[in-house]
Amino acid sequence: MTKRAAIVLCGGRSSRMGRAKAWLPWFGKTMVEHVVGVLQSVVNEVVVVTSADLDLPVLGMDVRIVRDREAERGPLAGLREGFEAASADATFVTGTDAPFLGSAFVEEMFARGGACAPLSDGHVQVLCAVYGPGAAEKAQMLLAAGKSRPRDLLESQGYQAIAAEELVSAPSRAPWEGFNTPEAYLSAIRSVDAKATCVVELLGRAAKQAQKLGAESTREVPVGTLGDLLATWPKKLGLVDEGRVAKRYLASLGGRDLVRDLSIPVGPGERISMIDALAGG
Amino acid sequence: MNGFHMAYMRVDLTTGESARIPIEAKILERVLGGVGLGSWLLHREAPVGVDPFAPEAPLVFAFSPLVGTGVTTSAKFAVVGKSPLTGGLCDALASSHFAIEGKRLGIDALVFVGECDEPSEWVNGILRPTQNWGRTARETAAALSKEGRVAAIGIAGENRVRYATISAEGRHAGRGGLGAIMGAKRLKAIVVSGDHDTVAAHSEEVERQARRLRDRARGDATAKYSEIGTIGNLLAFDRMGALPTRNFQESHFEGAEALSAERWQSDRKHRRASCADCTIGCEHRYGYKAPGGESKDVRIEYESLFALGPLCGVADPDLVLAAAAKCDALGLDTISAGATLAFAMECGERGELSGGPVFGDDPSEWLSLIATREGLGDFLAEGSRLMAESIGGDALSRAPQVKGLELPGYEPRTLQTMALGLAVGTRGADHNRSGAYEADFSEEANRLHGDARSVALAIESEDRAAVLDALVLCKFVRGAFDDLYDESATLLNAVAGTDADGAEIETIARRIVDLRKAFNIREGWQPEDDTLPARFLTEPIPNGPAKGVTLPRERLDFMIRSYNLGRGWTEVGWLPKEALRRLEVELDLEGLRSSIERSFPEGIIPE
Repeated sequence: MTKRAAIVLCGGRSSRMGRAKAWLPWFGKTMVEHVVGVLQSVVNEVVVVTSADLDLPVLGMDVRIVRDREAERGPLAGLREGFEAASADATFVTGTDAPFLGSAFVEEMFARGGACAPLSDGHVQVLCAVYGPGAAEKAQMLLAAGKSRPRDLLESQGYQAIAAEELVSAPSRAPWEGFNTPEAYLSAIRSVDAKATCVVELLGRAAKQAQKLGAESTREVPVGTLGDLLATWPKKLGLVDEGRVAKRYLASLGGRDLVRDLSIPVGPGERISMIDALAGG
Repeated sequence: MNGFHMAYMRVDLTTGESARIPIEAKILERVLGGVGLGSWLLHREAPVGVDPFAPEAPLVFAFSPLVGTGVTTSAKFAVVGKSPLTGGLCDALASSHFAIEGKRLGIDALVFVGECDEPSEWVNGILRPTQNWGRTARETAAALSKEGRVAAIGIAGENRVRYATISAEGRHAGRGGLGAIMGAKRLKAIVVSGDHDTVAAHSEEVERQARRLRDRARGDATAKYSEIGTIGNLLAFDRMGALPTRNFQESHFEGAEALSAERWQSDRKHRRASCADCTIGCEHRYGYKAPGGESKDVRIEYESLFALGPLCGVADPDLVLAAAAKCDALGLDTISAGATLAFAMECGERGELSGGPVFGDDPSEWLSLIATREGLGDFLAEGSRLMAESIGGDALSRAPQVKGLELPGYEPRTLQTMALGLAVGTRGADHNRSGAYEADFSEEANRLHGDARSVALAIESEDRAAVLDALVLCKFVRGAFDDLYDESATLLNAVAGTDADGAEIETIARRIVDLRKAFNIREGWQPEDDTLPARFLTEPIPNGPAKGVTLPRERLDFMIRSYNLGRGWTEVGWLPKEALRRLEVELDLEGLRSSIERSFPEGIIPE
């Protein structure tokens, strides 16, 4: 029986997003948990490739996590790490920002046999594709030859390009549709649940100030950027100053990220705590 | 040189005799006062390998050049000794008029050696039997207040509880068990009153600088402390998965809301107060119902709150506040008391200790047993490290301590810059000599994944703390400085008439850190002492917002190695020969190198 594996790449810098995409909330899970969960129902083994400095949520004992030793060399180097760890006959590859990935679609891709990738609007979706056997060695050879595109690897395996419209199990939003910006992420959320909300709470001095102004200190509000959420409080509270969270405060996102950048997105079900910047002491 | 009296008083409690011993200006210029001067005196006065409870063990009370100048928060003193809890150098600070009056004796430090032959008190040069043995520090201070300002121990100190405090005006030199050293010397109280004012070299400039600092220490630089107090940390830490809970098994407490400043400010009686010479007013007192139903109030800080609350699984505010008041009265370090109790609670759950406390128990009952060393309290009075060593098995991996000092309320796995600070601190697990948590609570460091940047920030934080603790200024004014080193130099020059610059102040900071480390090496420090309990390096956070977060041992080890190299030490943390030679020469510490050579099998100190 063919051994199937899947690789999830999540070591990217997520610089335009401002937060690690793997940790972005997606309706009760983090993005990487969501994607891994979809894949686990279809493959024998899931390998998650992450960067040296990005830790991941607990993904279970049966998920292998490998570090990308040469993250600066691009996605092919990360894929090589994954292929080396997976050693399967057929391996599905995806990024971590794949909210619309479904198990039926992955199953259909495997059913095509051999290396294959969707072709959408003239683009080969190399991070939503199946790679054939021997991929680790081929990736290594390509890297040694100075090549760093996953497409080079697909081509070396004689892949089939499948027109998007031929894929019967693709949902209304394409499985290869990811997001690189806060707007794209928020749009993906709203397409699933137009009323998705998060919770913002003011702690410490901010809570005391809110009390003085007669404003509540905790609110459930529609998802948005941090700036959108803080704009729902009176300006007098001084939560925002010069286009960032005011120096006296920090925003704790989901108990993980501490930020001042107002463009950072907040996901469904997430809790934002506005804390005093002088925490500790 | 102004600002100093250029001498310390050495009191031999065995004979009752005192001697005024001069200190050269060059030494004071190189270590300043407070923890710097105290560390230097400890090197000079402590025999190598001395038992902290032996008569020969010195106990140092060090003042600073700024004491008596009216600079905000400067009325502080440092107590320095060899800790009975850690076996290493311990320096603890307290704010009170004791600092001002102590310096008015015309000295920069008091050093007590020897041992009284009966419970005694030292009152302005006179050693006499005390009637206060068995009383609380507060009762003792009240009885002696007409004769001067008082530093005293409570019942815990009398009974040599290894984490007993020294108390002055309700503030404690709290960590490391220095109160137990006083107890071992049978010295109940020290009373000081003098008439030697601090004369500044440039008094108008001092006034100008003091006014500037006071003005800047208003508003955002300190408002968190004055408006909310440190207990504002509790809910914020909880939300970030950084609130140690049930002996550091978890980092999120289901009862956090009930113990929060946000809740208490609206549903409890609340008032504020200030230390001597302080314009911040960070002291927040909250009302509680004492066990007999009586309404009382008590000063509460985050460290006491976390240690006696979430760490022990206690969510009832009245129980936590009553326990904090009990620690005050008995003279117990709240962090070590709470952490030791929490450790005993987990040992009980695991069947390693029978008849002990369980999570959620009222801590107060146990605190009394600890202070009097009755029953199991005698075991708990030894602190978590000695308990774990006695219990055996893998208990040490769960004892919440580094070098014997119990951890403060910062979860190392989710505050990884702080994890480094806790691991390498000369005092042990400590949040006052390393403020590395500041980096974690900022956008500068990745608090969940410590790296080289975290290391640099941890070193900077230790150096800044060394300056503040040598001058001695409260950490809560740290936000009022733009450039701590330059502005400290300006203050020092105005008071002492020196011409130091910021670079020299930074050098002093580094020297003080080296000096402390040298003392620990002298007393047997080994590289493996710089680490965290194995729990933090092997167990992921099990639940809450930080579920799954880990601090792998390799990561901590990398940070420790980088820290040592960043300090100019060897990779594993020895002071190289050149650094020791520099300390010997600059600080007249003849014999330092030879005393340290004993730590090396072949007597060879690394280059």
